[in-house]
Amino acid sequence: MAAGSNVVPVAMGDSTDVALAAAGDRQAFERLYRTHANRVFSLCTRMCGSRAKGEELTQDVFVRTWEKLPQFRGDSAFSTWLHRLAVNVVLNDRKTEGKQASRMDEGDGSDERWDEGARAPMYIERMDLAEAIAKLPAGARKVFVLHDVEGYKHEEIAEMCGITSGGSKAQLHRARLLLRGVLER
Amino acid sequence: MTNSDTTCEAFDAALPDYLEGTLDGSLRASVEQHLRECVRCASLVRDIENIRKEAAALPDLVPSRDLWTGIEARIAAPIIPLAARPERQRRFLPAWMGIAAAALIVGTAGVTYTLTARSFRPGVDTKVAMGSPPPSATQPTNAATQGGAAAAEPGGAGAPQNSADQSAGSGIALTPTAPSRPGIPASLASQNTQSGPSQSEAVYGKEIEMLQNIVRQRKTQLDSSTVAIIEKNLQIIDAAIEQSKAALMKDPASMLLSQQLTHALDKKVELLRTAAMLPAST
Repeated sequence: MAAGSNVVPVAMGDSTDVALAAAGDRQAFERLYRTHANRVFSLCTRMCGSRAKGEELTQDVFVRTWEKLPQFRGDSAFSTWLHRLAVNVVLNDRKTEGKQASRMDEGDGSDERWDEGARAPMYIERMDLAEAIAKLPAGARKVFVLHDVEGYKHEEIAEMCGITSGGSKAQLHRARLLLRGVLER
Repeated sequence: MTNSDTTCEAFDAALPDYLEGTLDGSLRASVEQHLRECVRCASLVRDIENIRKEAAALPDLVPSRDLWTGIEARIAAPIIPLAARPERQRRFLPAWMGIAAAALIVGTAGVTYTLTARSFRPGVDTKVAMGSPPPSATQPTNAATQGGAAAAEPGGAGAPQNSADQSAGSGIALTPTAPSRPGIPASLASQNTQSGPSQSEAVYGKEIEMLQNIVRQRKTQLDSSTVAIIEKNLQIIDAAIEQSKAALMKDPASMLLSQQLTHALDKKVELLRTAAMLPAST
Protein backbone atom coordinates (compact mmCIF):
# COMPACT_ATOMS: atom_id res chain seq x y z
CA MET A 1 0.00 0.00 0.00
CA ALA A 2 1.24 3.42 -0.84
CA ALA A 3 2.47 5.54 1.97
CA GLY A 4 0.86 8.75 3.06
CA SER A 5 -2.74 7.69 3.32
CA ASN A 6 -4.57 8.58 6.51
CA VAL A 7 -7.68 6.72 5.44
CA VAL A 8 -8.27 3.43 7.14
CA PRO A 9 -10.03 1.30 4.58
CA VAL A 10 -12.84 -0.83 5.87
CA ALA A 11 -12.41 -4.46 4.94
CA MET A 12 -15.08 -5.32 2.44
CA GLY A 13 -15.36 -7.51 -0.57
CA ASP A 14 -14.78 -6.01 -3.99
CA SER A 15 -18.38 -6.49 -4.98
CA THR A 16 -19.71 -4.25 -2.23
CA ASP A 17 -17.18 -1.54 -2.89
CA VAL A 18 -17.72 -1.83 -6.61
CA ALA A 19 -21.43 -1.26 -6.16
CA LEU A 20 -20.86 1.65 -3.82
CA ALA A 21 -18.21 3.20 -6.04
CA ALA A 22 -20.38 2.82 -9.10
CA ALA A 23 -22.99 4.84 -7.25
CA GLY A 24 -20.46 7.60 -6.61
CA ASP A 25 -19.00 6.61 -3.25
CA ARG A 26 -15.41 7.87 -3.37
CA GLN A 27 -14.38 6.17 -0.16
CA ALA A 28 -15.44 2.84 -1.58
CA PHE A 29 -13.51 3.63 -4.70
CA GLU A 30 -10.45 4.49 -2.67
CA ARG A 31 -10.68 1.11 -1.00
CA LEU A 32 -10.74 -0.50 -4.43
CA TYR A 33 -7.72 1.57 -5.36
CA ARG A 34 -5.83 0.50 -2.24
CA THR A 35 -6.59 -3.12 -2.98
CA HIS A 36 -5.54 -3.10 -6.62
CA ALA A 37 -3.10 -0.20 -7.00
CA ASN A 38 0.11 -2.22 -6.76
CA ARG A 39 -1.04 -4.82 -9.21
CA VAL A 40 -2.14 -2.18 -11.70
CA PHE A 41 1.05 -0.21 -11.16
CA SER A 42 3.12 -3.33 -11.78
CA LEU A 43 1.27 -4.05 -14.98
CA CYS A 44 1.59 -0.49 -16.24
CA THR A 45 5.25 -0.17 -15.30
CA ARG A 46 6.27 -3.47 -16.83
CA MET A 47 4.34 -2.86 -20.00
CA CYS A 48 5.72 0.62 -20.58
CA GLY A 49 9.18 -0.01 -19.13
CA SER A 50 9.26 3.06 -16.88
CA ARG A 51 8.25 3.56 -13.26
CA ALA A 52 7.45 7.24 -13.74
CA LYS A 53 5.28 6.50 -16.72
CA GLY A 54 3.81 3.58 -14.83
CA GLU A 55 2.65 5.90 -12.06
CA GLU A 56 1.11 8.27 -14.54
CA LEU A 57 -0.66 5.44 -16.30
CA THR A 58 -1.87 3.97 -13.02
CA GLN A 59 -3.63 7.22 -12.24
CA ASP A 60 -5.12 7.23 -15.72
CA VAL A 61 -6.34 3.68 -15.20
CA PHE A 62 -8.16 4.49 -11.97
CA VAL A 63 -9.68 7.67 -13.33
CA ARG A 64 -10.89 5.66 -16.30
CA THR A 65 -12.15 2.99 -13.94
CA TRP A 66 -14.17 5.59 -12.01
CA GLU A 67 -15.74 6.76 -15.24
CA LYS A 68 -16.45 3.27 -16.49
CA LEU A 69 -17.51 1.68 -13.25
CA PRO A 70 -21.24 2.26 -13.78
CA GLN A 71 -20.90 0.13 -16.92
CA PHE A 72 -19.34 -2.80 -15.06
CA ARG A 73 -21.94 -5.55 -15.18
CA GLY A 74 -20.15 -8.15 -13.11
CA ASP A 75 -19.80 -10.66 -15.94
CA SER A 76 -16.25 -11.25 -14.74
CA ALA A 77 -14.38 -10.57 -11.53
CA PHE A 78 -13.72 -6.91 -10.89
CA SER A 79 -9.96 -7.54 -10.85
CA THR A 80 -10.13 -9.18 -14.26
CA TRP A 81 -12.15 -6.29 -15.63
CA LEU A 82 -9.80 -3.77 -14.04
CA HIS A 83 -6.65 -5.38 -15.42
CA ARG A 84 -8.12 -5.59 -18.87
CA LEU A 85 -9.00 -1.93 -18.65
CA ALA A 86 -5.45 -1.19 -17.49
CA VAL A 87 -4.00 -3.02 -20.46
CA ASN A 88 -6.20 -1.01 -22.79
CA VAL A 89 -5.18 2.25 -21.17
CA VAL A 90 -1.49 1.38 -21.60
CA LEU A 91 -1.94 0.26 -25.19
CA ASN A 92 -4.04 3.30 -26.08
CA ASP A 93 -1.50 5.58 -24.45
CA ARG A 94 1.20 4.20 -26.66
CA LYS A 95 -1.00 4.57 -29.72
CA THR A 96 -1.75 8.16 -28.78
CA GLU A 97 1.86 8.99 -28.24
CA GLY A 98 2.81 7.17 -31.40
CA LYS A 99 5.79 5.71 -29.64
CA GLN A 100 7.30 2.79 -31.44
CA ALA A 101 3.93 1.90 -32.91
CA SER A 102 5.55 0.07 -35.76
CA ARG A 103 7.30 -2.18 -33.29
CA MET A 104 4.06 -3.95 -32.63
CA ASP A 105 4.20 -5.12 -36.21
CA GLU A 106 4.29 -8.82 -36.34
CA GLY A 107 7.53 -10.52 -37.10
CA ASP A 108 9.64 -7.37 -37.05
CA GLY A 109 13.20 -8.46 -36.66
CA SER A 110 14.79 -5.22 -35.70
CA ASP A 111 14.45 -2.83 -32.85
CA GLU A 112 16.82 0.01 -32.23
CA ARG A 113 16.05 0.19 -28.54
CA TRP A 114 16.81 -3.44 -28.04
CA ASP A 115 19.92 -3.21 -30.16
CA GLU A 116 21.23 -0.73 -27.63
CA GLY A 117 20.10 -2.83 -24.72
CA ALA A 118 21.45 -6.02 -26.20
CA ARG A 119 24.92 -4.63 -26.40
CA ALA A 120 24.78 -3.07 -22.98
CA PRO A 121 24.64 -6.32 -20.99
CA MET A 122 28.08 -7.18 -22.26
CA TYR A 123 29.36 -4.62 -19.79
CA ILE A 124 26.91 -5.27 -16.99
CA GLU A 125 27.86 -7.64 -14.25
CA ARG A 126 24.36 -8.77 -13.39
CA MET A 127 20.91 -7.90 -14.57
CA ASP A 128 17.76 -9.22 -12.99
CA LEU A 129 14.68 -10.19 -14.89
CA ALA A 130 12.75 -7.01 -14.11
CA GLU A 131 15.52 -4.85 -15.53
CA ALA A 132 15.85 -7.07 -18.56
CA ILE A 133 12.12 -6.92 -19.24
CA ALA A 134 12.26 -3.12 -19.15
CA LYS A 135 14.93 -3.18 -21.84
CA LEU A 136 13.00 -5.40 -24.23
CA PRO A 137 11.65 -3.93 -27.46
CA ALA A 138 8.19 -2.50 -26.89
CA GLY A 139 6.27 -5.09 -28.87
CA ALA A 140 8.10 -8.06 -27.39
CA ARG A 141 7.92 -6.56 -23.89
CA LYS A 142 4.18 -6.09 -23.97
CA VAL A 143 3.50 -9.59 -25.19
CA PHE A 144 5.94 -11.07 -22.68
CA VAL A 145 4.41 -9.16 -19.78
CA LEU A 146 0.88 -10.00 -20.82
CA HIS A 147 1.64 -13.68 -21.38
CA ASP A 148 4.35 -14.75 -18.99
CA VAL A 149 3.75 -12.26 -16.17
CA GLU A 150 0.00 -11.57 -16.34
CA GLY A 151 -1.06 -14.92 -17.72
CA TYR A 152 -3.12 -13.80 -20.71
CA LYS A 153 -3.56 -16.23 -23.59
CA HIS A 154 -2.25 -15.53 -27.06
CA GLU A 155 -5.77 -15.10 -28.39
CA GLU A 156 -6.50 -12.45 -25.77
CA ILE A 157 -3.20 -10.68 -26.39
CA ALA A 158 -3.81 -10.74 -30.12
CA GLU A 159 -7.19 -9.11 -29.65
CA MET A 160 -5.90 -6.47 -27.26
CA CYS A 161 -2.81 -5.59 -29.28
CA GLY A 162 -4.44 -5.82 -32.68
CA ILE A 163 -2.16 -8.59 -33.91
CA THR A 164 -2.67 -12.23 -34.79
CA SER A 165 -2.26 -15.07 -32.38
CA GLY A 166 0.74 -16.24 -34.39
CA GLY A 167 2.26 -12.79 -34.13
CA SER A 168 1.83 -12.89 -30.39
CA LYS A 169 3.59 -16.25 -30.22
CA ALA A 170 6.44 -14.96 -32.34
CA GLN A 171 6.88 -11.88 -30.18
CA LEU A 172 6.83 -13.98 -27.04
CA HIS A 173 9.46 -16.37 -28.30
CA ARG A 174 11.60 -13.48 -29.43
CA ALA A 175 11.28 -11.87 -26.00
CA ARG A 176 12.26 -15.07 -24.21
CA LEU A 177 15.30 -15.59 -26.38
CA LEU A 178 16.36 -11.96 -25.91
CA LEU A 179 15.93 -12.27 -22.16
CA ARG A 180 17.93 -15.46 -22.07
CA GLY A 181 20.71 -13.77 -23.97
CA VAL A 182 20.76 -10.86 -21.57
CA LEU A 183 20.50 -12.93 -18.43
CA GLU A 184 23.26 -15.35 -19.42
CA ARG A 185 26.26 -14.80 -17.24
CA MET B 1 23.94 -33.09 -33.57
CA THR B 2 22.18 -36.07 -32.05
CA ASN B 3 21.11 -39.51 -33.04
CA SER B 4 17.52 -38.39 -33.44
CA ASP B 5 16.14 -37.21 -36.76
CA THR B 6 15.56 -33.71 -35.44
CA THR B 7 18.31 -31.17 -36.00
CA CYS B 8 18.94 -28.17 -33.76
CA GLU B 9 17.55 -25.89 -36.48
CA ALA B 10 14.39 -27.95 -36.70
CA PHE B 11 14.20 -27.96 -32.92
CA ASP B 12 14.49 -24.18 -32.81
CA ALA B 13 11.67 -23.89 -35.29
CA ALA B 14 9.46 -26.21 -33.28
CA LEU B 15 10.39 -24.72 -29.90
CA PRO B 16 7.61 -22.11 -29.60
CA ASP B 17 4.93 -24.70 -30.22
CA TYR B 18 6.71 -27.16 -27.97
CA LEU B 19 6.72 -24.66 -25.13
CA GLU B 20 3.08 -23.88 -25.81
CA GLY B 21 2.29 -27.57 -25.74
CA THR B 22 0.69 -27.46 -29.14
CA LEU B 23 2.96 -29.90 -30.99
CA ASP B 24 1.29 -33.03 -32.28
CA GLY B 25 2.28 -36.42 -30.91
CA SER B 26 4.93 -37.64 -33.33
CA LEU B 27 6.70 -34.30 -33.64
CA ARG B 28 6.61 -33.84 -29.92
CA ALA B 29 8.19 -37.21 -29.36
CA SER B 30 10.91 -36.37 -31.85
CA VAL B 31 11.63 -33.04 -30.16
CA GLU B 32 11.76 -34.67 -26.73
CA GLN B 33 14.14 -37.26 -28.06
CA HIS B 34 16.37 -34.49 -29.37
CA LEU B 35 16.22 -32.76 -26.01
CA ARG B 36 17.48 -35.84 -24.25
CA GLU B 37 20.49 -35.99 -26.55
CA CYS B 38 21.39 -32.34 -27.22
CA VAL B 39 22.95 -30.32 -24.41
CA ARG B 40 22.61 -27.03 -26.25
CA CYS B 41 18.88 -27.38 -26.86
CA ALA B 42 18.22 -28.80 -23.41
CA SER B 43 19.96 -25.82 -21.88
CA LEU B 44 17.88 -23.48 -24.01
CA VAL B 45 14.63 -25.03 -22.92
CA ARG B 46 15.70 -25.07 -19.29
CA ASP B 47 16.62 -21.39 -19.37
CA ILE B 48 13.34 -20.39 -21.01
CA GLU B 49 11.37 -22.43 -18.51
CA ASN B 50 13.21 -20.67 -15.71
CA ILE B 51 12.40 -17.29 -17.24
CA ARG B 52 8.74 -18.26 -17.48
CA LYS B 53 8.65 -19.34 -13.85
CA GLU B 54 10.50 -16.32 -12.64
CA ALA B 55 8.28 -13.98 -14.67
CA ALA B 56 5.12 -15.54 -13.29
CA ALA B 57 6.46 -15.10 -9.77
CA LEU B 58 7.54 -11.51 -10.09
CA PRO B 59 6.37 -9.57 -7.05
CA ASP B 60 4.07 -6.59 -7.35
CA LEU B 61 5.76 -3.26 -7.61
CA VAL B 62 4.89 -0.40 -5.27
CA PRO B 63 4.56 3.20 -6.49
CA SER B 64 7.10 5.59 -5.06
CA ARG B 65 4.34 7.98 -3.96
CA ASP B 66 0.69 7.94 -3.07
CA LEU B 67 -1.15 8.15 -6.36
CA TRP B 68 -4.59 8.43 -4.79
CA THR B 69 -4.32 12.18 -4.22
CA GLY B 70 -3.98 12.81 -7.93
CA ILE B 71 -6.73 10.36 -8.78
CA GLU B 72 -9.09 11.87 -6.23
CA ALA B 73 -8.44 15.37 -7.53
CA ARG B 74 -9.28 14.26 -11.04
CA ILE B 75 -12.44 12.36 -10.25
CA ALA B 76 -13.63 15.13 -7.94
CA ALA B 77 -13.33 17.82 -10.58
CA PRO B 78 -16.69 19.56 -10.71
CA ILE B 79 -18.76 19.47 -13.84
CA ILE B 80 -20.03 22.94 -14.66
CA PRO B 81 -23.57 22.72 -15.99
CA LEU B 82 -24.35 24.65 -19.13
CA ALA B 83 -27.37 26.14 -17.39
CA ALA B 84 -25.02 28.23 -15.26
CA ARG B 85 -24.29 30.51 -18.19
CA PRO B 86 -25.74 34.01 -17.98
CA GLU B 87 -29.29 34.36 -19.16
CA ARG B 88 -28.51 37.46 -21.16
CA GLN B 89 -25.98 35.65 -23.30
CA ARG B 90 -28.37 32.88 -24.05
CA ARG B 91 -30.88 35.35 -25.34
CA PHE B 92 -28.40 37.33 -27.33
CA LEU B 93 -26.96 34.49 -29.32
CA PRO B 94 -30.19 33.26 -30.91
CA ALA B 95 -31.17 36.85 -31.78
CA TRP B 96 -27.85 37.48 -33.41
CA MET B 97 -27.99 34.22 -35.25
CA GLY B 98 -31.49 34.96 -36.40
CA ILE B 99 -30.45 38.27 -37.91
CA ALA B 100 -27.43 36.69 -39.49
CA ALA B 101 -29.58 33.94 -40.96
CA ALA B 102 -32.08 36.46 -42.27
CA ALA B 103 -29.30 38.49 -43.81
CA LEU B 104 -27.87 35.42 -45.38
CA ILE B 105 -31.21 34.52 -46.88
CA VAL B 106 -31.86 38.04 -48.08
CA GLY B 107 -28.39 38.67 -49.40
CA THR B 108 -27.33 35.42 -50.97
CA ALA B 109 -30.22 33.04 -51.38
CA GLY B 110 -32.31 35.73 -53.02
CA VAL B 111 -29.57 36.56 -55.45
CA THR B 112 -28.94 32.94 -56.23
CA TYR B 113 -32.60 32.18 -56.74
CA THR B 114 -33.14 35.12 -58.97
CA LEU B 115 -30.02 34.40 -60.96
CA THR B 116 -31.00 30.83 -61.62
CA ALA B 117 -34.74 31.24 -62.09
CA ARG B 118 -35.75 34.68 -63.15
CA SER B 119 -32.90 35.38 -65.50
CA PHE B 120 -33.98 32.57 -67.82
CA ARG B 121 -37.64 33.53 -67.93
CA PRO B 122 -38.63 35.73 -70.84
CA GLY B 123 -40.23 38.48 -68.88
CA VAL B 124 -41.92 41.74 -69.38
CA ASP B 125 -38.89 43.54 -68.01
CA THR B 126 -36.72 42.46 -70.88
CA LYS B 127 -39.22 43.45 -73.46
CA VAL B 128 -39.72 46.79 -71.88
CA ALA B 129 -36.04 47.37 -71.53
CA MET B 130 -35.24 46.31 -75.02
CA GLY B 131 -38.30 47.83 -76.53
CA SER B 132 -38.01 51.14 -74.87
CA PRO B 133 -36.27 54.00 -76.61
CA PRO B 134 -32.85 55.09 -75.50
CA PRO B 135 -33.17 56.39 -72.03
CA SER B 136 -34.11 59.94 -71.73
CA ALA B 137 -32.63 62.26 -69.27
CA THR B 138 -35.68 62.02 -67.09
CA GLN B 139 -35.44 58.31 -66.46
CA PRO B 140 -32.58 58.45 -64.01
CA THR B 141 -34.28 61.32 -62.34
CA ASN B 142 -37.47 59.31 -61.91
CA ALA B 143 -35.58 56.41 -60.58
CA ALA B 144 -33.75 58.61 -58.24
CA THR B 145 -36.99 60.04 -57.04
CA GLN B 146 -38.29 56.58 -56.34
CA GLY B 147 -35.12 55.76 -54.52
CA GLY B 148 -35.53 58.85 -52.49
CA ALA B 149 -39.05 57.82 -51.60
CA ALA B 150 -37.76 54.50 -50.45
CA ALA B 151 -35.15 56.20 -48.38
CA ALA B 152 -37.82 58.28 -46.76
CA GLU B 153 -39.44 55.10 -45.44
CA PRO B 154 -36.57 53.20 -43.88
CA GLY B 155 -37.20 49.62 -43.27
CA GLY B 156 -40.49 49.66 -45.08
CA ALA B 157 -41.66 46.52 -46.68
CA GLY B 158 -42.01 48.30 -49.95
CA ALA B 159 -38.33 48.82 -50.57
CA PRO B 160 -37.65 45.72 -52.66
CA GLN B 161 -40.89 46.16 -54.52
CA ASN B 162 -39.93 49.71 -55.23
CA SER B 163 -36.64 48.60 -56.66
CA ALA B 164 -38.26 46.03 -58.91
CA ASP B 165 -40.75 48.50 -60.21
CA GLN B 166 -38.04 50.96 -60.87
CA SER B 167 -35.92 48.45 -62.73
CA ALA B 168 -38.77 47.32 -64.90
CA GLY B 169 -39.66 50.75 -65.98
CA SER B 170 -36.38 52.38 -66.73
CA GLY B 171 -33.82 49.95 -68.09
CA ILE B 172 -31.40 49.12 -65.37
CA ALA B 173 -28.15 49.36 -67.14
CA LEU B 174 -28.78 52.98 -67.62
CA THR B 175 -30.41 53.63 -64.29
CA PRO B 176 -28.54 54.62 -61.18
CA THR B 177 -29.01 52.46 -58.15
CA ALA B 178 -31.91 53.51 -56.00
CA PRO B 179 -30.76 53.00 -52.45
CA SER B 180 -33.06 53.07 -49.50
CA ARG B 181 -30.28 54.17 -47.19
CA PRO B 182 -28.95 57.66 -47.69
CA GLY B 183 -25.76 58.50 -49.39
CA ILE B 184 -24.48 55.26 -50.86
CA PRO B 185 -24.54 56.13 -54.54
CA ALA B 186 -23.26 59.62 -55.08
CA SER B 187 -26.11 60.40 -57.42
CA LEU B 188 -28.57 60.03 -54.58
CA ALA B 189 -26.52 61.19 -51.71
CA SER B 190 -27.52 64.78 -52.13
CA GLN B 191 -31.17 63.91 -51.82
CA ASN B 192 -30.86 62.68 -48.30
CA THR B 193 -29.93 65.03 -45.54
CA GLN B 194 -30.26 62.67 -42.62
CA SER B 195 -26.65 61.63 -42.67
CA GLY B 196 -23.71 61.98 -44.98
CA PRO B 197 -22.36 59.03 -46.94
CA SER B 198 -19.34 57.17 -45.74
CA GLN B 199 -16.23 57.52 -47.78
CA SER B 200 -16.51 54.03 -49.23
CA GLU B 201 -20.15 54.51 -50.11
CA ALA B 202 -19.33 57.74 -51.87
CA VAL B 203 -16.59 56.01 -53.83
CA TYR B 204 -18.99 53.27 -54.86
CA GLY B 205 -21.59 55.80 -55.90
CA LYS B 206 -19.15 57.79 -57.95
CA GLU B 207 -17.73 54.71 -59.64
CA ILE B 208 -21.15 53.30 -60.44
CA GLU B 209 -22.39 56.57 -61.84
CA MET B 210 -19.36 56.93 -64.07
CA LEU B 211 -19.64 53.38 -65.36
CA GLN B 212 -23.34 53.72 -65.95
CA ASN B 213 -22.68 56.75 -68.12
CA ILE B 214 -20.19 54.79 -70.19
CA VAL B 215 -22.53 51.85 -70.59
CA ARG B 216 -25.35 54.17 -71.50
CA GLN B 217 -23.25 55.69 -74.26
CA ARG B 218 -22.17 52.28 -75.52
CA LYS B 219 -25.60 50.72 -75.50
CA THR B 220 -26.19 51.18 -79.21
CA GLN B 221 -22.84 49.55 -79.98
CA LEU B 222 -23.70 46.34 -78.11
CA ASP B 223 -25.80 43.41 -79.18
CA SER B 224 -29.34 43.72 -77.94
CA SER B 225 -29.33 40.33 -76.26
CA THR B 226 -26.12 41.24 -74.45
CA VAL B 227 -27.70 44.44 -73.24
CA ALA B 228 -30.73 42.50 -72.05
CA ILE B 229 -28.56 40.16 -70.02
CA ILE B 230 -26.63 43.02 -68.51
CA GLU B 231 -29.83 44.78 -67.58
CA LYS B 232 -31.27 41.65 -66.06
CA ASN B 233 -28.22 41.03 -63.95
CA LEU B 234 -28.12 44.61 -62.82
CA GLN B 235 -31.75 44.31 -61.75
CA ILE B 236 -30.85 41.32 -59.64
CA ILE B 237 -27.89 43.04 -58.07
CA ASP B 238 -29.93 46.15 -57.40
CA ALA B 239 -32.56 44.05 -55.69
CA ALA B 240 -29.87 42.51 -53.50
CA ILE B 241 -28.52 45.95 -52.67
CA GLU B 242 -31.98 47.13 -51.69
CA GLN B 243 -32.58 44.10 -49.52
CA SER B 244 -29.27 44.53 -47.77
CA LYS B 245 -30.00 48.15 -47.10
CA ALA B 246 -33.44 47.37 -45.78
CA ALA B 247 -31.96 44.82 -43.40
CA LEU B 248 -29.29 47.31 -42.36
CA MET B 249 -31.96 49.83 -41.45
CA LYS B 250 -33.21 47.34 -38.88
CA ASP B 251 -29.77 46.34 -37.67
CA PRO B 252 -27.32 49.14 -38.51
CA ALA B 253 -24.51 47.60 -36.44
CA SER B 254 -24.47 44.31 -38.31
CA MET B 255 -21.09 43.64 -39.80
CA LEU B 256 -22.49 40.80 -41.83
CA LEU B 257 -25.07 43.01 -43.50
CA SER B 258 -22.51 45.68 -44.21
CA GLN B 259 -20.29 43.12 -45.83
CA GLN B 260 -23.22 41.82 -47.82
CA LEU B 261 -24.01 45.31 -49.08
CA THR B 262 -20.38 45.89 -49.99
CA HIS B 263 -20.30 42.61 -51.81
CA ALA B 264 -23.38 43.51 -53.86
CA LEU B 265 -21.95 46.92 -54.69
CA ASP B 266 -18.71 45.25 -55.77
CA LYS B 267 -20.69 42.96 -58.03
CA LYS B 268 -22.47 45.90 -59.60
CA VAL B 269 -19.21 47.75 -60.24
CA GLU B 270 -17.67 44.61 -61.68
CA LEU B 271 -20.57 44.02 -64.04
CA LEU B 272 -20.65 47.62 -65.20
CA ARG B 273 -16.92 47.57 -65.83
CA THR B 274 -17.29 44.41 -67.86
CA ALA B 275 -20.11 45.95 -69.86
CA ALA B 276 -18.13 49.12 -70.42
CA MET B 277 -15.23 47.18 -71.87
CA LEU B 278 -17.20 44.82 -74.09
CA PRO B 279 -16.26 44.97 -77.76
CA ALA B 280 -18.83 46.44 -80.14
CA SER B 281 -21.12 43.93 -81.83
CA THR B 282 -20.46 43.27 -85.49
